Amino acid sequence: MKFRNTISVLSCAATAALFLGATLGCGDKTTSNGTNGGNGGGNGDAPVAVNRPAPLGEGNSVATGDDVIKIGLIASQNGNLRPWGVDSVDGAMLAVKQINDAGGIDGKQIKLVVGDSNSKPEEGKNAAEKLVSEGVIGLIGEVSSGITAQLADVAKERGVPLVAVGATKPDITTKGSNIFRVCYTDDLQGPVMAVFAFRDLGLTKVAIVTDVKQPYSTGLSETFRTKFEALGGEIVDVQNYETGSTAFNGQIANLKAKNPQGLFLSGYFNEVGPFVYQARDQGIGKEVYVFGGDGWDSAEILNSGGDAILGGYFCNHYNENDDRPEVASFLAAWKAEHGGVPGTTMGALGYDATALMIDAIGRAAELNSASVTEALEATVDFKGVSGDITLLDQNGNPPKRAIVVELTNDGQSFTKAYEASEIIGE
Amino acid sequence: MIDLVTSGALAGLSLDPSTLPQQLVNGLLIGAIYALIALGYTMVYGVLRLINFAHGEVFMLGAYAALFVSYGFGYTADAGDIAGGTWTLLAIMLLVSMISCAIVGAVIEFFAYRPMRNQTRIAALITAIGVSLLIQYGGQLFLPAQPPPSISEKVLPADIRGSYDFNLISPDPQLESDLAAAKTAADAADSELEKMLTDTGQREFDLEPEHPLRAAKFETIGEVRSLSAEIENSSVSVTVPRGQAVMFGTVVLLMTLLWWLVMHTRTGRAMRAASHDFDSASLMGINVNRVVTITFIIGSALAGAGAMMNATFLRTPLTPFFGFMPGVKAFVAAVLGGIGNIPGAVLGGFVMGLAETLVVWAGYGQYKDAVAFVILIVILLFRPGGLLGSSKVEKV
Repeated sequence: MKFRNTISVLSCAATAALFLGATLGCGDKTTSNGTNGGNGGGNGDAPVAVNRPAPLGEGNSVATGDDVIKIGLIASQNGNLRPWGVDSVDGAMLAVKQINDAGGIDGKQIKLVVGDSNSKPEEGKNAAEKLVSEGVIGLIGEVSSGITAQLADVAKERGVPLVAVGATKPDITTKGSNIFRVCYTDDLQGPVMAVFAFRDLGLTKVAIVTDVKQPYSTGLSETFRTKFEALGGEIVDVQNYETGSTAFNGQIANLKAKNPQGLFLSGYFNEVGPFVYQARDQGIGKEVYVFGGDGWDSAEILNSGGDAILGGYFCNHYNENDDRPEVASFLAAWKAEHGGVPGTTMGALGYDATALMIDAIGRAAELNSASVTEALEATVDFKGVSGDITLLDQNGNPPKRAIVVELTNDGQSFTKAYEASEIIGE
Repeated sequence: MIDLVTSGALAGLSLDPSTLPQQLVNGLLIGAIYALIALGYTMVYGVLRLINFAHGEVFMLGAYAALFVSYGFGYTADAGDIAGGTWTLLAIMLLVSMISCAIVGAVIEFFAYRPMRNQTRIAALITAIGVSLLIQYGGQLFLPAQPPPSISEKVLPADIRGSYDFNLISPDPQLESDLAAAKTAADAADSELEKMLTDTGQREFDLEPEHPLRAAKFETIGEVRSLSAEIENSSVSVTVPRGQAVMFGTVVLLMTLLWWLVMHTRTGRAMRAASHDFDSASLMGINVNRVVTITFIIGSALAGAGAMMNATFLRTPLTPFFGFMPGVKAFVAAVLGGIGNIPGAVLGGFVMGLAETLVVWAGYGQYKDAVAFVILIVILLFRPGGLLGSSKVEKV
């Protein structure tokens, strides 16, 4: 019965196709952020009373006779997040060098121990366990929210404080009272872009384009929509796609018929670049603005989006052309130490996280993890490169400033900075 | 009367008849690519009764081949100002893509499938999945994944940028001239603002929105927007990006070539014979190994052509997983049309493309990929032979 064989082979093949889909679905999430459970992510909101659980372990301490204080950094020194990992290590090394050149803390030198997460959550966790066993007093890292969530588990269990570099997923800091971050959360960038679109671009009718496979994107679209509508704007259309989509003609034709004045694309650069390119190709003119969140932060977007994406705006953590004095001195120090400028925002955030940790160690009553955690929690107006950082009563999420940048031929051009209080106060 | 649209059951449903013609054209454009890839699945199945799961990966490698050619001609990420590409360059990219895919296809067949030919079909199928995973994950070691650049926009010659616009219901010519005037006014207002900013060293977004020059810019741009909206609402037009029109033309040309090759050459006859009955064909003096190799070469070359055009005209960033989704969809297209049946694969490709865009048209963009699997399940349940496939029991 050849025919029956055909059917069974087809069914097997179909199953296999579904199976492969599942495999890919799991293997492809290294950069995914999420916003579910966003309590405690209230940048600049009156701090939400989240009962952050106390750490379980006792952490490490520096013996009185020691002349070095060890801190640990987890970074993706290999794997697909390598550009971010390399920058955060360089930034951290710069901060450590500066304090050591200035004589260290109480005569003790700071020693930075770096662990490689290889862009994978489980390897990040192993590296963190190893560093804690080696006696680091505090942990710094990571850029990806997925890896940071693992580090947070280790930090909570072992009792060492964690300062995340670039993880924007709101619920990471709710894991324990010793988890902090130096970046804003996804609850800030949506409203920032809404205010920018409504007030500075003068848009009243905007369409939202969401990558429904990324919690980062769905959450960001939602926070944008809420703020934009509260300001009095109108969302004229919502179009969705999934990570990995390559052709967006259908969504674009729908959008075109609704005549939006601007498109808010909350996804990652992988899809946003081609989306905008195809939209311009299909006659959505330059008078229709495109803008999005920090998922756009990659040079690849300029390649895939081409000329079409130039003039697009997105929300970022920091920009080299920002006029704060900390930025200029950071860039000068970076140039002297590493040459050139940081390739990504993570150079500055890695520097900030490390400098904040060192600052807290300096302020701590005793040289042990618990005291450093208390000092971190008590941080008020720490002058970071990416903005002033206050952690006191913020559940680990500093109310940060957010920068809107414009994509130009030369990369990202600083457009406007917003303080969190400014946005929430609107 | 229950309003289904607002009651939640069909929230998101939006059937706008004025965009339907555009969506149908979109469906055909994307369907053409699916059809091209589906041909590779169906031809291999026709001859070997094997689902070549590595076909999507061959597609992916073709896109990388095109990328490397564009690098070779200087269109790298850090190439500064570089002259636009030419048709010759596009043709070279297309040919290199097709040839590399043909070689990869033949190599896969020789090393992976030929030793398995006399084993059970399920063993061959698992081998195919293995090859697919090997290339996907092995590719991660050797192929530049993001963020290295995809094919530079600049490889496209100037005359295939922009789009062809067809008006089914023309807008009022008065409106169009008004729009042109409004655009001129908006450009003037914009350059006046720019000039003031450069002269005074100020930044646009530091100014108050009420600043007269900014207000003038807002007003003129608003006029452009409302006029375009009026034109858009009063007319029905179809826009075909030129690149995608070229893509469609090339696909049709390749399909015609394939049809000629299969129906009017000795090789084609040998392929049809092998497809009809592999063993008897071999007994009749047909070199079946050669036929199988040629089938892989042709199918893979078609995938290579599709990959090059997909990466170039749709600007998809390349990753080693680039071929996965198109591969799965083309596989569904092949099954839908009747696997093993060449016109079926073409029909299936177009139906898939249309189904996808219609789902998006209805406002369910998030189910665009899911619809492929729904079609697969439905077709396996109700018409396993496919639309054009024979549903009769084959003789043993």
